[in-house]
Amino acid sequence: MGRNAAIKGFDPAIGHTMDLFDEKEGHLSVILEILKSPWVSRGSDLLAPEDAGIGKRRGETIAVAWDDVRRVPAAFEWHARAYRVDEIAQLWAVERYWWDPRRRISYRCWRVIARGGTYDLAYDRLERRWMLLGVQD
Amino acid sequence: MGDSFVHLHVHSRFSFGDGAADLDELIARAGELEMPALALTDHQGLYGALRFYQKALAAGIRPILGAEVVIDAAGFMGPEADLPPEQRLILPAPVGSGRAQGYGGWHVTLLVRDIEGYRNLCRLLARAHVRSPEGPSIISVRDLSRCAGGLIGLSGCTRSEVSLAVLKGDVTRARTAVRRLRGCFEPGNFYVEVQHDLTPEAPRRIAGLVALAESEDIPIVATNNVHYVRGEQFRLHDVLASAGARMALPGPYERPNAELYFKSAAEMRALFRNLPQACDATLEIAERCQLDLGLGEFHFPSADVPRGETPYSVLSKLAWRGLEERYRPVTPEAVRRLQHELAIIQDLGFPEYFLIVKEIVDHARSRGIRYSGRGSAGDSIVTHVLGITDADPIRHDLLFERFLNPERKQMPDIDVDFDSARRDEVIKFIYDRFGHDHVAMVATVNTMTARSAVRTVGRSFGYPITEVNALSRHLPWVSARKIKEVLETYPECRNHPLRDPRYKMVVEIAEQLDHCPMHLGTHLGGFIITREPIDSWTPLQWAAKGVVVSQYDKDDVEALGLVKMDILGLRIHSAISDTVEIARARVGSEEVPEPFDLEPDDPRVYEMLQRADTVGMFQLESSGQRNLSQRLKAERFEDIIAQISLFRPGPLEAEMITPFIRRRHGLEPVIVPHSGMERPLRDTWGVIVYQEQVLRVSQAVAGFDLAEADSLRRAMTKGRSREEMARIKTHFVERAVERGVSFQTAEEVFRQLEGFAAYGFNKAHAACFAVVSYASAWLKTYYPAEFAASIMNNEPMGFYTPRHVLNDARAHGITILVPHVNDSEARYIVERNGTAIRVGLKDVHSMNNRLLEAVVRERIVRPFRDLADFLRRTGAEPGPAESLIRIGALDGLGVTELDRPPTRDEMIALLPELKAVIAREGKAGDDVLCLAPASTRPAEDPTHVSGWSVARRLSAELEYLGLTLTCHPLELSSADFAARGVTSASRLRELPDGTQVTVCGVRERAQTPRTRSGKRTCFLTLEDATGLLDVVVFEDVLNRVGDVIVKHRCYLVTGKLQNNTERGLAIIANDVQPYIVRSAGEPVRLRRGVPSGPMGPSLGGAGAPEEESWISAQQAAEDPTAYGVHDAL
Repeated sequence: MGRNAAIKGFDPAIGHTMDLFDEKEGHLSVILEILKSPWVSRGSDLLAPEDAGIGKRRGETIAVAWDDVRRVPAAFEWHARAYRVDEIAQLWAVERYWWDPRRRISYRCWRVIARGGTYDLAYDRLERRWMLLGVQD
Repeated sequence: MGDSFVHLHVHSRFSFGDGAADLDELIARAGELEMPALALTDHQGLYGALRFYQKALAAGIRPILGAEVVIDAAGFMGPEADLPPEQRLILPAPVGSGRAQGYGGWHVTLLVRDIEGYRNLCRLLARAHVRSPEGPSIISVRDLSRCAGGLIGLSGCTRSEVSLAVLKGDVTRARTAVRRLRGCFEPGNFYVEVQHDLTPEAPRRIAGLVALAESEDIPIVATNNVHYVRGEQFRLHDVLASAGARMALPGPYERPNAELYFKSAAEMRALFRNLPQACDATLEIAERCQLDLGLGEFHFPSADVPRGETPYSVLSKLAWRGLEERYRPVTPEAVRRLQHELAIIQDLGFPEYFLIVKEIVDHARSRGIRYSGRGSAGDSIVTHVLGITDADPIRHDLLFERFLNPERKQMPDIDVDFDSARRDEVIKFIYDRFGHDHVAMVATVNTMTARSAVRTVGRSFGYPITEVNALSRHLPWVSARKIKEVLETYPECRNHPLRDPRYKMVVEIAEQLDHCPMHLGTHLGGFIITREPIDSWTPLQWAAKGVVVSQYDKDDVEALGLVKMDILGLRIHSAISDTVEIARARVGSEEVPEPFDLEPDDPRVYEMLQRADTVGMFQLESSGQRNLSQRLKAERFEDIIAQISLFRPGPLEAEMITPFIRRRHGLEPVIVPHSGMERPLRDTWGVIVYQEQVLRVSQAVAGFDLAEADSLRRAMTKGRSREEMARIKTHFVERAVERGVSFQTAEEVFRQLEGFAAYGFNKAHAACFAVVSYASAWLKTYYPAEFAASIMNNEPMGFYTPRHVLNDARAHGITILVPHVNDSEARYIVERNGTAIRVGLKDVHSMNNRLLEAVVRERIVRPFRDLADFLRRTGAEPGPAESLIRIGALDGLGVTELDRPPTRDEMIALLPELKAVIAREGKAGDDVLCLAPASTRPAEDPTHVSGWSVARRLSAELEYLGLTLTCHPLELSSADFAARGVTSASRLRELPDGTQVTVCGVRERAQTPRTRSGKRTCFLTLEDATGLLDVVVFEDVLNRVGDVIVKHRCYLVTGKLQNNTERGLAIIANDVQPYIVRSAGEPVRLRRGVPSGPMGPSLGGAGAPEEESWISAQQAAEDPTAYGVHDAL
């Protein structure tokens, strides 16, 4: 299963127990607060500016189900496995090197919580495709 | 509070490099999004504030003025570098432009609540910028606390101390900073600013700022730090930021995305879904900002008024006294008019303004500084009798209402031109009289045109400078939004490198930069004078030229109701003063009268004008004016006024000249639709040329009083809509019909007024200029050598190159003497009893003041003997010494073993050795150095003392002096011209109209003025050895030869001669071919190749013919070092 296997495999729907929290909402609010906390720095933030916010880089094309009402990703599929988005932790945009067609980046990124893990999804506005940019530490 | 939102942190293009939002677009977008108010917070100033204030009010949006400023650290005492490295925050990149640039501090946003806040913000900015000419412009926390009344403070953007400390996790510093900042403002006037810029760190920063604000009990407010109106304009912003910092993209700020656009209320509230109070606070702040600048009121500085007098009583006394001096005898008409004008001036409250202008011109007169008032002020008898303007308003039928309309309370504008050489004395007087705290210069905002926009984009893209030069040069002087159009349609752009598809994005972005403010400049002569300290009215800063300048331009100053005085320097005044002085020195003071006081009726002067012999004459010398001179055949002063007025963009566009000339020469009858028009249009043969005539005709036909008539003229001139015009027409026709004019006649009169009102010229302005024109014409007629020498001494001025001014003097029989160290002064002097001009040494390449003084000083002791003597006594550096040798200024000095003076080649060869010997021996010894002449190539022309051929001497003169003294370059091609059947300029007049001719000339000017039809016509002014040639290239030919005209300097033109009274003398070109002057097979250069800057000759400069400078961007890009690019035009 590799690293973070416990997080990736965590799914209360199939009966995994929550050691610390009684219910999913309580779990999420703690994670969100931690992510927002100004006093906590992530290792990924120490990367180069263009990689800011991206932990373990992936850059894989994935399929994403879009919630038209909330205008956020609702679910995504990665390695033949479906991930329902439980919460949107963060939204950011990247627009760089517009003057150089070979290097240009134009993403809209969502940091989502799904199956207990944090995933960075990006919509590439130039290629019109979804990508899994990284799995957060 | 609902769903609304107000943007309180907005940068426009007036943030100079950190903002791409156009003010009109911003206001329009705020209107579209139904925002009740909008703030403008440009970096370091209020540059765009006044125009924003007026535009927003007109659009029904409440304007909030403010600025984003740089302040000292508030979180600790001392500079950032004093902190241990791990505690330091990263300082923001510099912001602002020129000497108002702020760096080494943190950003804070200030908003103006009321007039007290406005004055405090002006003071704060002025104090920060003017404190020292060098160093960053930073506001200290102490200054902020002193001047925070009426201001609302926001803690600042992501580059504020608080934000950066929060993000770094330095709670203590963030807390200290926020407390100290809050302490500066009145209670309730400080907010913590939160911005969600959609960056990964934004949520952390916001959470930290909110926590801090809550713990300190400070309200929060949301902003978006708007830098452009729509998302897609982020590219423009990046380009401007890079260009502003002189860096390649991504520029100094490295913004990670395109989110700093003008977001809707819904978007902002979605971003701050969990913090609605932050959005509500924007509305609350907007509600509290109620600034009223009181526009429409006037604020005059105080005039000197004795106790017991009022400004009006003083003005009145001075005016009546002046009337007695100007009008002898005083006529009832003059008395009536003066009474009328004084009453209006009193009613409008302007007496102080007139007194101040009088004070300034009186000072100039008392010091013998030549000046002349101009513009619509010439319409007033008050300005005339006060000695401000010279043209007599009664004699020339000038109307006061055109200057001051009692129906429209507008700040009067009296422009005065002073002798440019002595303008500084006038400026010093103004500062001394009103005080340095009450005077500042007016700014100008320099905006981008096609060339500068392409340069800006090219440099931000990181192209090498040679490539940027190649891309921008050779573009016509058009607005940036026309680049694509000119590249596709202008023949001279047929092979322009920008047409290459790889520059598509450059063109696209450059077009969007049209009229974008680039930097703050200094108005040529505009001064603001205030009663209160000036920094309570306008922010100040140092301009590049080292003077304190307001951040407002002339329109802003006028809108504020402040007094602006134009103290302009006019070089023709200097030239006239110099001419009078030199002429009086030669023939005696009593022989040369004051030229401004002459009765303008000398037939010899008018003969000269009729011959179009006008080079050097003020306002009458351009090629168009010379052509008009031949057609108009001026016989009296009124004709000069008409001539000055007719050759203007308005009358030209309205094609007034042709009917004017035809009627004048009886080629068509003078018919006016109503007898009331006869008198006002008598002097112009029934053609409406002057704005004053529109007033008179309206008065005569429709019975308008003059004020009403002026309002009608303005309405017809400025931005009239079809509906408005129809309304004006109905009004005019009704009034005329009431007076018994037939409906058809009234309609026809209105049609003529409508056609010309927008194009007419202000007669008073032309009349004031005509006084100076006549004076210059008189001096040229009677003292041609003194006049030409004075023009050369005051260059750059006028229409022609100095080279042509000297050639013209030569054509008048004046001998041009080459410069020589034993004869020349720094300036041009007149010799041989007014028949010769000795070229001065000041224009010699690389000459400096020290050497000029040394030459004159040593020569008085005894003449220079030889080169060694010259070098030893003057200490001349090798560069200037070589320049002097090359132009012949040392010809004939010394004797060689061959019993003849050394040639120029020999002197150049000896120069390094002599310098070395002098350096070794020092200056003390006066022995003659005995050095064998160095071996040089044999003399090309042994008969001439220089040993150089004519072509080589000519080339050196052009290169090191910019003049042609030996001969005209085209004289070298006389054999070739004879073979080709080329006609000289002097012979053209003898040939009949319609003759096919071939002429050859060097380009003096090329102009493509706007025409009513929209077609492009190029007017070429060429010069051959005998005079000037005027060539007209119509659009069909221009499409064929446009690139030849741009790329080359000398042309062979074939075409049809036009030589008749109606159209004047010109050649209508059929074909234009390049012509290269050759001597012994080698091309001869036709332009100066040595730049006057410190860099010395440019690459490929010396001897390179013009066409070699035309290189493509590809060539430059391939090998930037191999090519030097010259200005082609």
